[in-house]
Amino acid sequence: MKIQQMAFMLIAVTLFFVIAGLFILVINFSGVKQSAKLIDEENALTLVSKIADSPEFSCGNAFDQPLTSCIDTDKVMALENHIQDYRNFWGISGLQIAWVYPNNSTLANTSCTTGNYPACGKITLIPTSNGTGVPNFVNLCRREIDNNSIPYNQCDLGKVIVVYNG
Amino acid sequence: MLNRKQKRGFLQIPFSWLFAIIVGAIIIFFAIYAAVKLIGTETTVSTAQTGSQISVLLNPLETSFGQEQVTTLSIPVESLLSNNCDNAGNFGSQQIVVSQMSGGKWTDTNIAPTSHNKYIFSNDSVEGKNFYLFSKPLELPFKVSDLIYLTSANDNYCFVSAPQPVQAELSNLKQGNVFTANCPSNSINVCFSQASKCDIVVNQNQLSVTKDGQTMYYETDALMYGAIFSSPDVYECQVQRLMERVNKLSMIYSDKENIISVKGCPVDTSLSADLLNIGQAATSVKTSADLINIASASDNADGENNMTSCRLW
Repeated sequence: MKIQQMAFMLIAVTLFFVIAGLFILVINFSGVKQSAKLIDEENALTLVSKIADSPEFSCGNAFDQPLTSCIDTDKVMALENHIQDYRNFWGISGLQIAWVYPNNSTLANTSCTTGNYPACGKITLIPTSNGTGVPNFVNLCRREIDNNSIPYNQCDLGKVIVVYNG
Repeated sequence: MLNRKQKRGFLQIPFSWLFAIIVGAIIIFFAIYAAVKLIGTETTVSTAQTGSQISVLLNPLETSFGQEQVTTLSIPVESLLSNNCDNAGNFGSQQIVVSQMSGGKWTDTNIAPTSHNKYIFSNDSVEGKNFYLFSKPLELPFKVSDLIYLTSANDNYCFVSAPQPVQAELSNLKQGNVFTANCPSNSINVCFSQASKCDIVVNQNQLSVTKDGQTMYYETDALMYGAIFSSPDVYECQVQRLMERVNKLSMIYSDKENIISVKGCPVDTSLSADLLNIGQAATSVKTSADLINIASASDNADGENNMTSCRLW
């Protein structure tokens, strides 16, 4: 009888500690998930402010003078042909560039292709249907030719949106 | 004649006590085992988080227009940062594995975030609490990436007889562990001319750096610093990764040339040929000694790009 009581007591104590341990583990791992989400968010925030200086996007000296926070859209259209190679390159789940001003409302939702560029409103490099977007304003510059066949720089206001899982 | 009681053992422990002791011992064993495992998991999580945060901290080191940048990284406990470089895949990958001192030994964890867009030049492992990160863009002839040089604040580098531009650049950086004059006695000596007590020798005629008995070759100052601050195996791996990116960028510039040509903004045809040469030369680089193949194509392309009315970069 005494052994039976003790056995029940021991089982109860063991169960208590197992349940308490599992509770601690759940709280612990929810903290880890939260940290991972926070790190993804920080990555997106720091990346979006600097992605315009990345060589795949930056204007460099292509527009007669060095331009900062400037994305060369001619180069981005060229990058679109090679985007499969860059799929996991920046560690983000989505990437889009959109024109803000001058804003042609009829073109705003038109995605750029080699056929319609530059008569379009956005370039979706890495498409995604979910996640959180972090935008940053940038200059969007390209080369154009005037009626006298003289090349000139066309720079507009745009934004780059980096999407992370969160 | 001994009676029944006298026949029993010296220790007369009731069975209920014996049962309690055995089961109690098993419970305590499992509790200790679980606690040790939990501490191990916590340590792994902590080092992985530190590794991820370091990776995030490197994003702002992206430079524009040749602006070198220095930043410091402080970790609350003595840490060992291991630089794992892998050149497999499209752009290769980079991991900084953080090990922290626990119970008198380094925690052994291989969990670290992988980044494909960073090129960190350092020794195989760097130890300390405070670290310096210095970044400089590599241009061959277009910007390829920002190279990040990671050193421990415990290691002082003394640049002996460095050429004036290098001295000026390093002095402007004001990086606490890099000296061009009045070097501390325990410094790692980086010699640009024949001298005694050289740990690292830079030969500017051959464009080579000799370190740990091995010779690494470079093009541009950005790769020279890479060879100075990193282990030969890390350097060779990063060069391979950079060449993969040069190849991809040359293809992107080739496509950009087509896009602007259609608009009526023609680019010199010899520039197209040079871009093709740069891509081929980058693909053929197996070791840093092959970097010389890319140099002439790079110089030609840069000259032609500067002369054309529709520049590619």
